[in-house]
Amino acid sequence: MIVFISGGVRSGKSSFAEQCAKMMAKATDSLHYIATAMRTDEEMEARIIHHQKQRKYDRWQTWEQPYDLDNIIPMFGKRDIVLLDCLTNLWANELFRDDRWHIEEKVPRIVQQIKKLGDQAKVCIVVSNEIFYDGIPYEQGTYAYMRGLGLLHQHIVIFSDVAILMRCGLPIVKKGRWPCGVG
Amino acid sequence: MHFVSGGAFQGKRKWVNAHYSFTHTPYSWYCAYENMFPLPHDETASVVVLEGIEHWIREYFFPYTDDEKEAIMSYIYAWERWEKEKKRTVIWIGCDISQGIVPIDSHERAWRDAVGWTYQQLARICSRVDYIWCGMNEQIK
Repeated sequence: MIVFISGGVRSGKSSFAEQCAKMMAKATDSLHYIATAMRTDEEMEARIIHHQKQRKYDRWQTWEQPYDLDNIIPMFGKRDIVLLDCLTNLWANELFRDDRWHIEEKVPRIVQQIKKLGDQAKVCIVVSNEIFYDGIPYEQGTYAYMRGLGLLHQHIVIFSDVAILMRCGLPIVKKGRWPCGVG
Repeated sequence: MHFVSGGAFQGKRKWVNAHYSFTHTPYSWYCAYENMFPLPHDETASVVVLEGIEHWIREYFFPYTDDEKEAIMSYIYAWERWEKEKKRTVIWIGCDISQGIVPIDSHERAWRDAVGWTYQQLARICSRVDYIWCGMNEQIK
């Protein structure tokens, strides 16, 4: 099962996604958190610590995987709830890890990885960001990044069971029905 | 007329293609990112798509004052009249550029203002309006 959650900066996506993962988990299930941020500067470091503190008191297992999801996919089975936070980091890390910026090759690869995660785990929750409302960028790298992320969103939503847009901490269900009682 | 909007890279073009099943229907597709928008009088197809309104405004309606807005309106009305002459359809596609940081540069601000204003006019005139998110439409009129 795949749940796709997107929203603006500070719209409450991460905490909503975490809350959902917990509500969907039975006592015998495990919660897994795929952290995608690379520790690049102080602001990022502080953000990571903020998110870690929030998860600390729960039963989360964290996997730091800024790219190559393939490496950890075999770890998950039907008793695992996997939260990927977030797709925007993963995509930046994958797209810009070489100088080729090859969208046609990289987008389908990530789509397949997420599909596999969703098939294999009990639930895969994917968190992403809404960055598409300021026009089409002129700079080449930004253009490639946005076009790729837009394609990822469209492809992931096609095989998502639930797609949610977050606004001001409130979930708007765009596809499917929310499977747990929150929101 | 039909107005289709939504964020960049959300599959607006794909949705219009699928919705109007263009693999079976003859149509004319004009993309402002590549060419100028045409005038209606030479049009022979019965379905016309005008894609990239925001870019069309940016390129041809500088400096986006009331005079330009008036010109935009007469262009829209020309297509509306053309549509009403026979059984025809005009589809406008415009990228939503209204939810970013307001730019410092006054021309950039004026452009966003003109685009938002034009979308409101289109939404008023068109009988149907759809907003696309992640390839999915929400009919808002």
